[in-house]
Amino acid sequence: MAFVRRFTPLLAKTFLNIPINTQGRRIHRWVSPTLIELKYREKKQGGKVINPRNTFLEWNLEAELYAFGKRLNEEFDSDLLLQAFTDRSYVIKEEMKQKEMEFDLKMKDNRELVKEGEKFMEEYIQLYLEAVLPKFPVEGIVGIKNHLMSESVLANISLHLGTKDIILAAEYPVERQILANTFKALVGALLQSSGDEQSGHFVRDFVITQLQGQDVNDYWHIEDPWTMLTDLMSKTGSELEPRLIGEVGKNTLLACYRVGLYLDKKMLSSGFGETVATAKEMAAREALKKIFATEENMYPINFKLNGIPKSTSDLRYKISAN
Amino acid sequence: MVFLTVANWIRARGPDEFWRKRRIFRLAAHYTGRRRNCYSVAVRNVHRALAYATKARKLKKEDMKVLWDTRITAACEQHNITAFSLREGLGRADIMLDRKSLSDLAAWEPKTFHCLAAVAKEKLNLDNFIDGTDKKEPTGINLNLKDVMLEAWLKEKK
Amino acid sequence: MSAAKRVQQWATFARTWHIFDCKWQDPYQSAEVIKKYLMGLHKPIYHSMNDCGDVVVCINSREIALRGNDWRQRAYFHHTGYPGGATWTLAWEVHNKDPTMIIKKAVYKAMRGNLQRRHTMQRLLIYPGEEIPEDIIQNVSNQIRQLRLVPTRLDHISEEEVKKFPKVMDYPQDYVLK
Repeated sequence: MAFVRRFTPLLAKTFLNIPINTQGRRIHRWVSPTLIELKYREKKQGGKVINPRNTFLEWNLEAELYAFGKRLNEEFDSDLLLQAFTDRSYVIKEEMKQKEMEFDLKMKDNRELVKEGEKFMEEYIQLYLEAVLPKFPVEGIVGIKNHLMSESVLANISLHLGTKDIILAAEYPVERQILANTFKALVGALLQSSGDEQSGHFVRDFVITQLQGQDVNDYWHIEDPWTMLTDLMSKTGSELEPRLIGEVGKNTLLACYRVGLYLDKKMLSSGFGETVATAKEMAAREALKKIFATEENMYPINFKLNGIPKSTSDLRYKISAN
Repeated sequence: MVFLTVANWIRARGPDEFWRKRRIFRLAAHYTGRRRNCYSVAVRNVHRALAYATKARKLKKEDMKVLWDTRITAACEQHNITAFSLREGLGRADIMLDRKSLSDLAAWEPKTFHCLAAVAKEKLNLDNFIDGTDKKEPTGINLNLKDVMLEAWLKEKK
Repeated sequence: MSAAKRVQQWATFARTWHIFDCKWQDPYQSAEVIKKYLMGLHKPIYHSMNDCGDVVVCINSREIALRGNDWRQRAYFHHTGYPGGATWTLAWEVHNKDPTMIIKKAVYKAMRGNLQRRHTMQRLLIYPGEEIPEDIIQNVSNQIRQLRLVPTRLDHISEEEVKKFPKVMDYPQDYVLK
């Protein structure tokens, strides 16, 4: 009997986790047949069917929207909030249905809010990063901004805010692009409801804080740090000299060289590498990090700046002159 | 019609043995051969593994202590002080750092460890404590030590 | 891993090449020091599974100095595995046949008898004299300090220095030394 049971669909051993401490500290004889039957029915259905929350009995969209606003401690205009969560695909689907029923209820979609939100976010993030990383050049800031505004990051944020179940879209589960757009639309809606400062704080608290613990230099790929460094130094007119400080195991595969960069006879930075060229490149990168004040031991980014920071773009380095 | 005898024919069978055995097989998933497929072989090995795990809790602590000691000794050597002197000096200076913290500092914060070694050596010098195994070379850091008690006394006097 | 972290890891676990001059040293005493560098016990990142040991190049292993009567009394055992294949060879015989064996056996004995021993011994390079291949000398970057003091031989001091050295007294010209 147990032999037969072992060779029927091995449901128990695969992914179902039966808690050991069931009643009476034993798993009853009816558990296994029940699970087998459930699995059989699931297979007949053609896989697990996940129903969206809004098909459940106790779904109340108005209450959900109100609760969403309250959860974030933000004041949203209720019409704007509903508009922000409505996706274009949903509107198209509704219109198709309404054509059949000869019924006309205009639903606004969130395209304009998305555009507004995106524009505001770009400007705000640029200003904030410029204020928080004063010596970082424009290209670097643009790199970080592109990462923060990317689809994956925004989709992740919006998923964890709980928009997945409230979004009105054609399909379920919702696509990442739609999640990202909804977040931008939320920012747009907040902009119109509460104003610049509140929206700025919202973006700061949810988007810019994604930089916590990340190395800011990863988002800007510098192709040739040595030429960049020499260009920068040529403007000030100081002498830059690379020297081999240490080497280990020259003829082995595990060779390690250490190159130090000297600025006017004083050490600026040092870099390690498998070959002398790599070590020189790493030393140049370290020197650039020192100049831009984004080393490993830099002060953590300040996530508490209030209001909309002022623009300081004229005092900034621009690497490409064109 | 009520059939009363039918109820007497029902026997309450014990719980399903599949689940009892599954508890053992889940722990033996990474074994080889019969030890992960046959219950009577698996059970013996799983019980031994659990007994080893219980005994190893104490052994792990001992192993970690030995490893930390080795690392601290290695780092101390780089600064011309013995581990014993380091512990003595830090203890006298009221710096209560255990082996784990010291070994972590030695690996990740070398400059901090260098300063700690200098502090320990300076304290032992001030206490006129002589340890024969210590090397005579000084540690490289120049600790600008101030006599706190003397300054406080002078302030009071004024 | 970002480039900076990768390069930091490479530098931390880089294998240093040390050189040790065995001239007039006791092999068993120096083996304690050599084994420390071979196993990586001199690094604060030591762990037995870390492969953090360094390479040690021993030179002048022919000039080794055993204690007391060891040259005549210390015997090294070897069994070929076949019946009647046991041999006890004295230290001076072993040294004549192969000048690197004594220090090699001394380091082998100093280490713990675990499976890593054979692997670690491969990192030890021993040369009987001062001639070392070019590529190995180029790798070396550190010298391990000798344990026993190596004084200069009186007949190795140059004549000028002997003449320059201030004399308190000197024997009269017709004095005969017995």
